[in-house]
Amino acid sequence: MGVVIKYLVAGLVRYWLIHLDYWQTIANRVEIATPLNSWKRLMEGVYLYDHNINPYEGDSFHESPIMLIFFHFLLTKAPIILPILFTILDLLTAHLLYKTSKAFTRIFKESQEAVLPEVAEESKTMLLSDTQLKEASEYVLSVYLFNPYSVLNCAGMTTTVIQNLLLATALWGASSGKRIIACVFIALATHQALYPLLLIVPIAILLADINKGCNKCSYIRTLLVFVLSWGFLIYLSAYIMDGSYNYVYNTYGFILTVPDLKPNIGLFWYFFTEMFEHFRLLFVCAFQINALALYIVPLTLRFRKEPVLLATVLIALSTIFRSYPCIGDVGFYLALLPLWKHLFTFMQQKFIVGCAFIITSVLGPTVWHLWIYSGSANANFFFGVTLSFATAQIFLITDLLFAYIKREFTLKHGSSRQVDGKPAKLVLR
Amino acid sequence: MESVRRLLLYNIFFIVFSCIHCDVFKEELFIKSLPPSHLYTHFQFVTLVNSDTSSFHSHLAPRSLVEVISRFHVEELHLTLTEGQWRHNQWGYPVLDAAPGAELYAWFSADVVDVDIQWKKLTSTLSGLFCASLNFIENFNTVIPQMTLWPTGAVKAGQNVTSHLRYASLPREIVCTENLTPWKKLLPCESSKGFSALLNSRMIHNTNYHSVGVHVRKNCISNDCSENNLEIKQTVGLVYDYDILTSSEWSFRKLYGQGLPGACPLSSDSKIYVDVTSNDTQPFTLIPPPHSVVLSQRGGSDVKLAIYDVKPDGQMINIGIKHNRNSDLPVPIPPPLYFNRYVLGYGKEFGGIVTELTNNCWTSINVVVLENAPWWLPIQLSTLRINGEAESSLIISQYYSPGRSRQKPYHLELLMKLPPRSTTTITIDFEFVFLKWQEYPPDANHGFYIGSALILANLPTAKNYTSLPNTGTTFDSMLNASKLWYPIVFRTNGAMVSLPTPDFSMPYNVICLACTVVALAFGPLHNICTKELVLKPVGTPVSLLQKVFNLFKRKRD
Repeated sequence: MGVVIKYLVAGLVRYWLIHLDYWQTIANRVEIATPLNSWKRLMEGVYLYDHNINPYEGDSFHESPIMLIFFHFLLTKAPIILPILFTILDLLTAHLLYKTSKAFTRIFKESQEAVLPEVAEESKTMLLSDTQLKEASEYVLSVYLFNPYSVLNCAGMTTTVIQNLLLATALWGASSGKRIIACVFIALATHQALYPLLLIVPIAILLADINKGCNKCSYIRTLLVFVLSWGFLIYLSAYIMDGSYNYVYNTYGFILTVPDLKPNIGLFWYFFTEMFEHFRLLFVCAFQINALALYIVPLTLRFRKEPVLLATVLIALSTIFRSYPCIGDVGFYLALLPLWKHLFTFMQQKFIVGCAFIITSVLGPTVWHLWIYSGSANANFFFGVTLSFATAQIFLITDLLFAYIKREFTLKHGSSRQVDGKPAKLVLR
Repeated sequence: MESVRRLLLYNIFFIVFSCIHCDVFKEELFIKSLPPSHLYTHFQFVTLVNSDTSSFHSHLAPRSLVEVISRFHVEELHLTLTEGQWRHNQWGYPVLDAAPGAELYAWFSADVVDVDIQWKKLTSTLSGLFCASLNFIENFNTVIPQMTLWPTGAVKAGQNVTSHLRYASLPREIVCTENLTPWKKLLPCESSKGFSALLNSRMIHNTNYHSVGVHVRKNCISNDCSENNLEIKQTVGLVYDYDILTSSEWSFRKLYGQGLPGACPLSSDSKIYVDVTSNDTQPFTLIPPPHSVVLSQRGGSDVKLAIYDVKPDGQMINIGIKHNRNSDLPVPIPPPLYFNRYVLGYGKEFGGIVTELTNNCWTSINVVVLENAPWWLPIQLSTLRINGEAESSLIISQYYSPGRSRQKPYHLELLMKLPPRSTTTITIDFEFVFLKWQEYPPDANHGFYIGSALILANLPTAKNYTSLPNTGTTFDSMLNASKLWYPIVFRTNGAMVSLPTPDFSMPYNVICLACTVVALAFGPLHNICTKELVLKPVGTPVSLLQKVFNLFKRKRD
């Protein structure tokens, strides 16, 4: 009953916000809508397509052709259902995350039983109980439903709503061992925003863990299904655009080369506004490698046994370092954090990170207004806020990982911090 | 005696050079009062070149220009350099309208394969020829008008003219003496003799509006158009303010700082036309009296023109007017069509461009409106509203070419039917673009100029219409030239927006700060992935004094 009320309230809030007079303002907010996902650009693309003008000829539309015909169909046939559709899709995302988190807690339990013999006697109390695990998935649901970031994202009717749904479906598919669903949806998400490409690694590990058997065969099979479905989507998109692959420059090309420097909550916009033209290519490559390739191998090697943690961290890192992030992406990975509630006691910067999130969320719109509308601040103010927002997120993620390895250590060696009776402290060596 | 001999010499030169090769040069001046407070003077210098003569062997035509035309296979070319804004609703219509700043459009001949490359070469060459920044014309500020511009000269039948047309305007261009001097050098008499002697840069740049232009086209000589000649028309349009002249009684000396030292000896026809229609309501006397006064009835408007036929006799002429009595201020007659353009919105995030067209006429007027937004002002076609409506019945046809950042401008053309006695508002929204810091011009907070919109109109009356008919070359073709339609291309006023700017002094700081944040993630993640947690014993806390003591102790050992 409680769950139903949660869905109902969250749905009503979203639906009400979409019908508010201020909807236009929400949908145009720089934190919510980026050139990649904004409702306005989607409308423009559909309008051009409807008037027989190729939307990829210009610079206003960056969604994949699949999204184009999907929304073209909706907008021409039944534009009236769009607000309710966006609300339902977001609720569906929440539901899938809920189901995913339930499956994840089962995985936690299994892995906890596997390491049970190694757990120190005094740390037995730290083991996760059934109620704790049940609570975690309830929290996941609540956080996604009532987190202002996800609520505003849905109210702004950005395509990140769909992106989140695809990711949630892929995670759910992986957590319940459905290889085809997981791979197809991660391919769909990759086709839309490129960065979810990273998630194929934790998904492959998850699928291999759940469908017990030959690990290597499972990896290869997952990869094969993913590559095939991604290739098919690329081909399908070209087929929609009458065989022309030019849309790639406006979708993947746009994400990778960052030509639009409209401010957002990420690190790219001011960096490449102020970049010396000579070094632009070098730094574009450096930043994209940082977002796409740098952390995947070391983190996979280190957290091979914890694909859920790997997935959480990779989603978060790709959100922080992607070229056009929005608060919808942030809301999505924040919803996954309650899964790691048992790590919160080991985290040291909870308070700082929490304060930073609140302060930057308030300060961001304020300095934006001062810069763009009042003319009394300049770009540096907004840049400072986005920089601290990114720093807060980075602290959150690194703190989570530190907390995880500290808990791992404590489970194994007990909570006493003494070596031969002398006081000692935990250090990395 | 000396002057007579020189004159004779000039005449001989004239006869020998121009008649044998049939190059013809004509100079004309058209003066019209724009009540209540302005005066319009329009100079035009026409050189007709027989196409048989090769471009390397010109007589009266400027060789530098003819060479450019033939080398780049240009069929027709229009270049104007304008300072100031023509106010259509107050002043009526000019002979040739021009966009503020520099404006260039040209048709290339059908055998040109890569028009874009040829266009780039042409703009660079003209840039050198006229000392103007035409070399800043690139693909990202060039459009190909589909319906608005049509060639005025001879076109081979069956040729696709629009694909060989390029149009660009540079609204920021400032026009000055340095553009006028090379322009005057193209005239056969340069500025020593003839009407061009009046074009004194000291006086010209004091005007409210001045527009210097070069227009080249090909005209048919025979009826079947198998033969054609090249027409090079150089024009100057000036609008004087009576307040600056200190009285509404003008004379050449007041306007140009000197009298007219006779016609150019090389010209076959030198005429001055003064519009004296307002003499009926506000009597004045022309001094000296004109050689003739003709009445021209054209499309419902009667215009009286006083004509002076100027001879190359070297005599100073100072034409002027004297008011007979102080009468009431004449009321200007509003033109049949006028327009206004402005930018909507506040802040530097979203805005809109509005073009208002007022049809003052008793009948509907068909117009083509060309909106040309630069790439840094992306317009959204889905936000196009005609009188607030998304689907308007006024639009007959529409063309849209979306822009691309740093490559292509946004280009929208609308063929519309303006209902009689109405105002039509075209609104389109745009989003401000954040440029890279090196893409901002010096003084970035000065603002960015948006070029004019082009309006092609087929006017049903010739009220306020001073343009020559398409087939005409000189002003006498305007007399009694009644037609069914009076086509004209207008330029609206430009507009200005202020784009959001970054802090230009910050590049190093921003690069350092952003990289630091990336490093904040890289460092801990690297540690977590490569190191393991261990317990390390820590000793009892040591005081500073103890530390210093220990240091000494170790040294003693």
